[in-house]
Amino acid sequence: MEQKYEGLPRAELKLDGRRVTRSAVANDWGLQLLWVISRDGKQIATANARPDAGYEHPDKMPGSYEIVLRMWKYVDYKKAADGEFTNSKFIDVSNKVTYRI
Amino acid sequence: MLNIGNEKLPLCSGHGPSRRSFLQVGSAGLVGLSLPNLQRAEAAAAKLGKKDTIGNCITIFLVGSPGQNDTWDMKPDAPAEIRGKFKPTATNVSGIQICEHFPLMARMMDKIALVRSLHHKTGATHENGQRWMMTGHDFNADSVKPHVGSIVSRVFGSRGDLPANVILPGPIGNTGAGPLHGQTAGHLGSAHEPFFLNSDPALPNFKVVDLEVPKGESASRLDARKRLLEQVDELQRRTESLSTQMHDASYERAFRLLTSSEAKRAFDLDSEKVEQRDRYGRNTFGQSCLMARRLIEAGVRYVTVNHFDTVFGQSCWDMHADGGSLNNSYLDYERHLCPQFDWAYTALLEDLDQRGLLDNTVVAVVSEFGRTPRINAKGGRDHYPSAWTNFLAGGRIKGGQVIGSTDKIGSRPNDSPVEPPQMIASIYKAMGIDLDTTMMPGPGDRPVRLVDAEPIGKLFT
Repeated sequence: MEQKYEGLPRAELKLDGRRVTRSAVANDWGLQLLWVISRDGKQIATANARPDAGYEHPDKMPGSYEIVLRMWKYVDYKKAADGEFTNSKFIDVSNKVTYRI
Repeated sequence: MLNIGNEKLPLCSGHGPSRRSFLQVGSAGLVGLSLPNLQRAEAAAAKLGKKDTIGNCITIFLVGSPGQNDTWDMKPDAPAEIRGKFKPTATNVSGIQICEHFPLMARMMDKIALVRSLHHKTGATHENGQRWMMTGHDFNADSVKPHVGSIVSRVFGSRGDLPANVILPGPIGNTGAGPLHGQTAGHLGSAHEPFFLNSDPALPNFKVVDLEVPKGESASRLDARKRLLEQVDELQRRTESLSTQMHDASYERAFRLLTSSEAKRAFDLDSEKVEQRDRYGRNTFGQSCLMARRLIEAGVRYVTVNHFDTVFGQSCWDMHADGGSLNNSYLDYERHLCPQFDWAYTALLEDLDQRGLLDNTVVAVVSEFGRTPRINAKGGRDHYPSAWTNFLAGGRIKGGQVIGSTDKIGSRPNDSPVEPPQMIASIYKAMGIDLDTTMMPGPGDRPVRLVDAEPIGKLFT
């Protein structure tokens, strides 16, 4: 039986200085969970958010930083010629937090 | 051909249903069960007085098989086409590294014993490996060997109303080379066939079909029907053979399952805290692992969780990256398979440990084979039975160690080679079963050893 993923995962982010912490993920699908870090609107890094509930991005270059939690949403395993999934994708599962350096 | 649920019953040529078929259909209808599970319902009484002294086992079967170089036997110093795309990460045991995509498992390595020198010498189909790792034998249709859980069921019997041997969420289906997956009772008979859940515990409306009283039936009407069934069976008993009586015992067992509040409680995932269900992962595999813990807690002796039931057309461990129906790739491992396994497996170990169940519950993670040390032209890896890694935790297993190793490219065992029957023997020993004093009935009821191998001694020292 193909695995079904029902409902939507959701977590709450809080910021303390540059350190972001997350709540437990409600309705957690158990798939890849990433911290996604952007600076001035451009994604600059990702990090595995499974091991720990807190994260501090080491980059101190001046700019406006935004962090959000993203989880893999499996729909099916179909892929394009370049090997990337066509229907499955990452989705945001939290609020966004921002800080400025 | 007559169909009852998914079961096809043969008709006598030109003469309608046989009496045997009629009785089977009638009995199944009376208790409202689908015939496959009805016949598989465990029914034999315990054989030995020491039945409650042994532990339990949860076996997680990774259908499709992960590559050893990409998971639990990494080769970071090998060339790129050997070492693959993932990096190793340190664990909480000095000197043991595993793939970066198992970060939670890495923190529990002190509970886990990796066996890195597994190999077998028969074919490279999924079914060869399934038979080896589910029964300790490879075999053909003329000599089907019983699933380990069926052996435990036959030798030690069940506790309470629940079957001794359960497979979640359903049987292995099409994996390419025939129907012999090693998940049947073989010569031990229908009373020891695994009980298959046959539904997805992650679905919001999840129900166990065989625990549902048929629509329109009240409990009293069901009782009346049972009494009628007993009268029919009594007549049948007077006229038919021992094997018929075994079926009767199965029906009785099935009826007990259907009416058992204990069974209903065990299968009721809604009684778990929401946070606990999230911790296992809201997916088929995660909720099956949670169900496995509930069943062990309720008295089931052996639970197998199949992580996927096919290798075709869906995300699974069979990473050929062929661009067609076997198109799993590194992206499936990184985003879906490794995180899903890591999340559910560590939840299971934690949960068992916190409930005091890990010391008497073996958790075995097994697969059919390894994958080719060299990445293929399309970026995947193909079947490779000459070397792979599986692992054990819980029961009497000493965690935090590695048994065996492979050569520099993960192509063959370097030391302490281990064959599948030794893993099965080790599972028995870790459950507390003494292989020197415990026998089972072989074909023709001749007593035979549970498996023709010795446990891996280092796992227990």
